[in-house]
Amino acid sequence: MKYFSFFFVLAIAVALAVAVSVPLGPIPPLAPLLDPNHGFWQNTLSEDALAEEELELENLSAPVKVVYDENLIPHIFAENESDLFRAQGYVTAQHRLWQMEFQTRAAAGRISEIVGPVALELDRMTRRKGLAFGADLGLKYLQENDPEIYELIEAYSDGVNQYIESLSPARLPVEYKILDYRPEPWTPYKSILLLKYMSDMLVGDRDLEYTNLRAILGEAGLSKLFPEFPKENDPVIEAERVWDFSPIAINKPDSTGYPDQALVMTPLPQPTEGTGSNNWAVAGKKTKNGNPILANDPHLSLNLPSLWYSMQLTTPDHSVKGATLPGALGVISGFNQNIAWGVTNATKDARDWYKITFQDESRKAYKYGNEWRQADFRIEEIKVKGEEVFLDTVEYTHYGPVVYDNNFRSDRQDVNFALKWTVHEGSNEQRTFIMMNKAKDHADYNAALDHYTAPAQNFVFASRTGDIAMRIQGKFPLKWEGQGKFFMDGADPSMEWQGYIPFDQNPNTLNPERGFVSSANQHPVDPSYPYYVFDNSYEHYRNRRLNRRLRELEGITVEDMKALQFDDYHLQAAEALPVMIQLLGDYQTDNQEAQKYLSELKSWDFYADPNQKAPSLYAIWSSETMESIWRDLVSQPAPVVRPNSYQTIELMTLSPTDTVFDVSSTPAIETAAYHVKAGFDTLLVAMKKWEMEEGDYSWANYKRTTIQHLVPNFKSFSVSNVYTGGGSGILNATGSRHGASWRMVVELGEEITAFGIYPGGQSGNPGSKYYSNFISRWANGEYLNFNLRTKDQKDGVLFETTLK
Amino acid sequence: MKFMLLTLVSILLVVFLGPFVPFWGLMIGIGLLSFLIDPKGIGAFLGGALGMGLGWVGISTYLGLTSASALPDQMGELMGLGSGMTLVALVGVLGFLLGGFSGLTGVLFRKMLRPTEKNIYRG
Repeated sequence: MKYFSFFFVLAIAVALAVAVSVPLGPIPPLAPLLDPNHGFWQNTLSEDALAEEELELENLSAPVKVVYDENLIPHIFAENESDLFRAQGYVTAQHRLWQMEFQTRAAAGRISEIVGPVALELDRMTRRKGLAFGADLGLKYLQENDPEIYELIEAYSDGVNQYIESLSPARLPVEYKILDYRPEPWTPYKSILLLKYMSDMLVGDRDLEYTNLRAILGEAGLSKLFPEFPKENDPVIEAERVWDFSPIAINKPDSTGYPDQALVMTPLPQPTEGTGSNNWAVAGKKTKNGNPILANDPHLSLNLPSLWYSMQLTTPDHSVKGATLPGALGVISGFNQNIAWGVTNATKDARDWYKITFQDESRKAYKYGNEWRQADFRIEEIKVKGEEVFLDTVEYTHYGPVVYDNNFRSDRQDVNFALKWTVHEGSNEQRTFIMMNKAKDHADYNAALDHYTAPAQNFVFASRTGDIAMRIQGKFPLKWEGQGKFFMDGADPSMEWQGYIPFDQNPNTLNPERGFVSSANQHPVDPSYPYYVFDNSYEHYRNRRLNRRLRELEGITVEDMKALQFDDYHLQAAEALPVMIQLLGDYQTDNQEAQKYLSELKSWDFYADPNQKAPSLYAIWSSETMESIWRDLVSQPAPVVRPNSYQTIELMTLSPTDTVFDVSSTPAIETAAYHVKAGFDTLLVAMKKWEMEEGDYSWANYKRTTIQHLVPNFKSFSVSNVYTGGGSGILNATGSRHGASWRMVVELGEEITAFGIYPGGQSGNPGSKYYSNFISRWANGEYLNFNLRTKDQKDGVLFETTLK
Repeated sequence: MKFMLLTLVSILLVVFLGPFVPFWGLMIGIGLLSFLIDPKGIGAFLGGALGMGLGWVGISTYLGLTSASALPDQMGELMGLGSGMTLVALVGVLGFLLGGFSGLTGVLFRKMLRPTEKNIYRG
């Protein structure tokens, strides 16, 4: 009996212990998660409560001092670069390990490993686009051509790995505990992959849609609705710029082999609308103190943990501060004792598609001119949590991977299209940032940029010696006019890119007469630039508002520049609304509600401030009007893009009776007024519903800016309904899910004065008080002091740690 | 008395050894304590149960209160359990069961090893 009772109770105890240690379906093991000594309760502790005076970090040549300011911004003081980046890796991992790992797993197409089959389609696509392939080449390129940078990346990886090894179960980031997996070692490959991932986030193409539009509208219709330059072009490089170089000649083939029928395929996901950025620099002659001032605010998805992590990195030779990307070395947007720089996305069709004709079913060879070329195969092994490994075979042509084929995203059509993209080439972006961090003047800045390939960026620059500059840097293919706008025939060698624009012929400007340089993702240049420039997503509003203000302003102060980053002026509404009101005429005059909304719109000053009601009304009315105008066009089975808002508004303004406004399914001839009225009717219906269900329709409440955790299901780790203004196409580009992911203003005087902020916090731990503590200040347009600190500065220190 | 002793020593074990061993290390520890202290069956169960349950509730409450972190509430919301208080209760129940069966196992092990008593006066 006593034997029985012992073994019986023992069995219960063991069974209980096992039951709470294994996952039950989607529920993670309970005990490791709930155990207060190791589970999520340990993640309630903030970094200051866990501060250590000394931590062990091997392979350093000298001790490294890390000083955290009151915002938990680390200031790393190292004796040399190798120690500096080792420490950067270690410190970044301390605060952002889960995010670094998660983002690179996403970039590698390995999310299914963590979350199971729901992510398989996403992973397949990531891999078919060839990001990992590009990172492989990037790694090889560094090992062969730049051992110096490779060693620094290795030092960074070593720092990250030493942190991972020292990690106790209690300190494991809470996301690992919930999703029940562990960090794996970091590698230089992952740092390179991260930069490729940035390309993926920022670069899109609409070749599929344009191919379809060309088939549907014809060349003439296409150039009417999609002109390559807007009427009021206010480009990145000032229009007055004289191009003093002789361009390389490009041969346009006599006949162009485009697929002519409309293609029914699911397009790849594009960078979300609202992804963009502003940057500018004003010369001393326009500022109050006579010093150049530089400003930068990249607009990206608003996420937690924030994409950015602030740091100061100091060696005896230089001291640089600003925003870093967890996983990459150095500062990406920032300043040092001598210069400041910033980045905005320089979209310019860097992805092209080629139709591939395989010889036979085996797909081993494809037609190229008069020969059959061998294709390579890359077998993508995708691990899937709780399921068997998924194998995806991707053919690689000399153009690049065959992304679309008969088993991926082609709607029953037997088509094969290969993607050519600069991201598939070996490149050395990391060197650019490491050199930029140490740059002392304009020559150093240019030298740093000479190593930069993708994603192309508008690099703004200002120096303490008074220079301001802008250079659009990336590897841009030489294209004949129209090349790469549509899918091309890969069997025809004359469809190839004919090389690249030499870097010294990339658009750039130094100290222009107008006293400022600026960029806001608009057209890079004026039509006088001798190379073909095309992209579907150029901005038409932020750039004009920005340049207008910069032209007007004199005696500029840092405060003026902060105000400009937070500027809520809605230029699109200012141009479109009067036209819409005029086209509406006396429609719905006896409807009281309609008159209430109209009078709110009529009295609007066009600022999309959070408490204003008109921006919500305008947002609905304008989008419904455009929806109505282009309904015929987008109802095709083949995917297309709509003409942009700028073009639509121009048509409504200048030619309201144009045939594009006619709805083909009705016998009557419709004009722009018809669509404006239809949009207005929808507005009334939408507002009735909104007022009944939600009540308040002030702008902040309507747009509901949300800063979302990287795992969208983790709703309680997100911050929603942030009270702030702005929106897409507005300098303060804060929409509901996108916006200024980092704001920086730097005055380059004798002493550098710098301010910065981002919508998040330094800690990646949702339980920490430093996780989201910047958000309310960011939402109010406030900034943190970002001045450089010295090693022994005592004020505002949260704690100090020595790594040795 | 032995029950009280087991409860107290188990709490100490959970608080001081807990950070260094996984939860099943504590279960073995409580079993061992129960073996050494040798309370009665029900006392062994309750002693281990209250020791681990109260220990865990204490630590989680302490962490939640001193850090003032929103994480317990966020986790409660994430797990569909409402607030962090529910999680504290869940931690308590979990500790209670794990500790209780560990305590009982320990004392039953001792009983098993003890030679069967023979009534020498009646024999």
